[in-house]
Amino acid sequence: MCGIHDLTEKDLQPLPYTPAYLDKIKGMRFFDPHVHMSARTTDDYQAMADAGVVALIEPAFWLGQPRTGIDTFRDYFSSLLGWERFRASQFGIKHYCTIGLNSKEANNEALAEAVMEILPQFIYKEGVVGVGEIGFDDQTPLEEKYYRAQLELAKEAGLPVQIHTPHRDKKRGTQRSMDIALEHGLPPHMIIVDHNNEETVKEVLDRGFWAAFTIYPFTKMGNERMVAIVQQYGSERIMVNSAADWGISDPLAVPKTAALMHESGIDLNDIHLVTYSNAVTAFAQSGQINEDDFNIAGNIDQREKFNGSTILRGGQQPRVDKNTTIIR
Amino acid sequence: MAPYVYDQQQMSVWLWAVIRRNGHEKGNEWLAQRWQLHQETATVAQFNQTFTAIPRFTGKHTITITQEEHQLLQEAVPGFFVQGWTLDRLARVWWLLQLAVTDKTIYLDTLDKLFKAAEMNELAALYSALPLLPWPEEWIARTTEGIRSNIGIVQAAIMQQNPYPAQYLPEPAWNQLVMKAIFTEKNIHLITGLDGRANATLALMLTDFAHERWAAGRTVDPLQWRMLTHFTTAANLPDIIRVLQSAVSAEREAAALVCAGSTYAPAKALLLQVPDIAAEIAAGTLTWQSVADKTTRS
Repeated sequence: MCGIHDLTEKDLQPLPYTPAYLDKIKGMRFFDPHVHMSARTTDDYQAMADAGVVALIEPAFWLGQPRTGIDTFRDYFSSLLGWERFRASQFGIKHYCTIGLNSKEANNEALAEAVMEILPQFIYKEGVVGVGEIGFDDQTPLEEKYYRAQLELAKEAGLPVQIHTPHRDKKRGTQRSMDIALEHGLPPHMIIVDHNNEETVKEVLDRGFWAAFTIYPFTKMGNERMVAIVQQYGSERIMVNSAADWGISDPLAVPKTAALMHESGIDLNDIHLVTYSNAVTAFAQSGQINEDDFNIAGNIDQREKFNGSTILRGGQQPRVDKNTTIIR
Repeated sequence: MAPYVYDQQQMSVWLWAVIRRNGHEKGNEWLAQRWQLHQETATVAQFNQTFTAIPRFTGKHTITITQEEHQLLQEAVPGFFVQGWTLDRLARVWWLLQLAVTDKTIYLDTLDKLFKAAEMNELAALYSALPLLPWPEEWIARTTEGIRSNIGIVQAAIMQQNPYPAQYLPEPAWNQLVMKAIFTEKNIHLITGLDGRANATLALMLTDFAHERWAAGRTVDPLQWRMLTHFTTAANLPDIIRVLQSAVSAEREAAALVCAGSTYAPAKALLLQVPDIAAEIAAGTLTWQSVADKTTRS
């Protein structure tokens, strides 16, 4: 979504060998609490499963292309709960989602009203672990209106809130997001403030909120910076995610960051907290996460179908063996 | 209020002349036929079909425009700029001027549907036409929506060499335009009305943004400091000093230009630290244009 910067053809080639970082994190389990899988391929699911990602959360967000009608919202929410969840299960990954009206599209008032009408139908569905991702993009009055309305929905439903903080005017946008959440009587422990950086983290933690960091090339955090943050602030209430989407992003950002932390001498328990259990703890407040469900990996059968469709395209052989990191 | 705030008929005639001079015979003939048909039937379906089909018949080569033509357009709608456009974009903008404005509701509804169904090049043409559209205040919400786009040519059509945003956007939307242009690495020197719309809130956003970039070990576009020129304060003076001491010459020059343009005495005094650069500014050899030429990205 930003410029291509200094990427070369070489950087975009798939690796011909098993990356060394996989050795460092062998046997570890990861939870990616923010990843837009509907924008990714099944290859990404395979790679994530191979790298130890056992569960993930897919927040409802913007598709790049603005939606022009309520039906496309309904279909999108349904796909997060239906087809996408099924697709993840075929790789042994437990898929959760957060549901909400994203900030960009809150600026279309007529459509936003229609979305608010169908939201209650969706946020109570099984496996919906929060209202998200909501918050500010441009910080317009309409964004504020629907952010507030959705905070009320979350409060009523007893669900955590996943806050998207803006790319532009970030520091003040982050402060404002937290102020408004408190104003609506939501306790900080129910709020996950996402996309933090060096300039926002201190205040978020000091005020008792969860601080999520998105490891995303160029525009958000790099994982070397993430290592420095954990070295400075510790592991309490901090979590890492990939926010991988249709941009140049990396669905393996969480395991790769764990490997880098390991290499940098960060304690294994701290790594476990920021790449797995803090996120589980935060979103389990929804009552919708059962860690036993993460062990479904043993029973994958890609021949299963969802509404008559399978993830296998014409002529593909089902992949049932999960014990190799090599993809041939 | 009259729908058009400039002489639309005259503009239409001038644009048609530029199109004809740049087009080939077959394309020109097709456009003339479509125009004739539109005069006779005036159906929305025909109008939309032509709008969409234009590049198939005109081609997509970059137009040339004479100095006299450029002058005429500038006088009619200050800031309106068609250099570097492709012929299909120009023809689409001209075509939009052919839609009847007798019924405002129908007009707005037709444009709304064109926007909603538009692909990237159509969107670029629609947003390029903003300075020429009737009822200018009706396009403010649409423009702020366009700024939210993540498609480069669509953003550029709004942000660069387009006088509409500076003239009509309220301050928060304007600030978003500038911040998004920087964020998406546009050449912000090409934003029309950049100096006139600078404001204290934007200055604060820009310094916060610089702090984030620095904390992340990233660089800051030297041109972004330009908007601080009339908003230098005790609060952002340390940032100006930091940029003035940068190892990158374009950054030092940008900071010096801010100080030279500022009326804030402590900022002005900083020029004494960089006598060489100050001399170049005084001599007129160092300007924002020359910094832009040095750093231009897109």
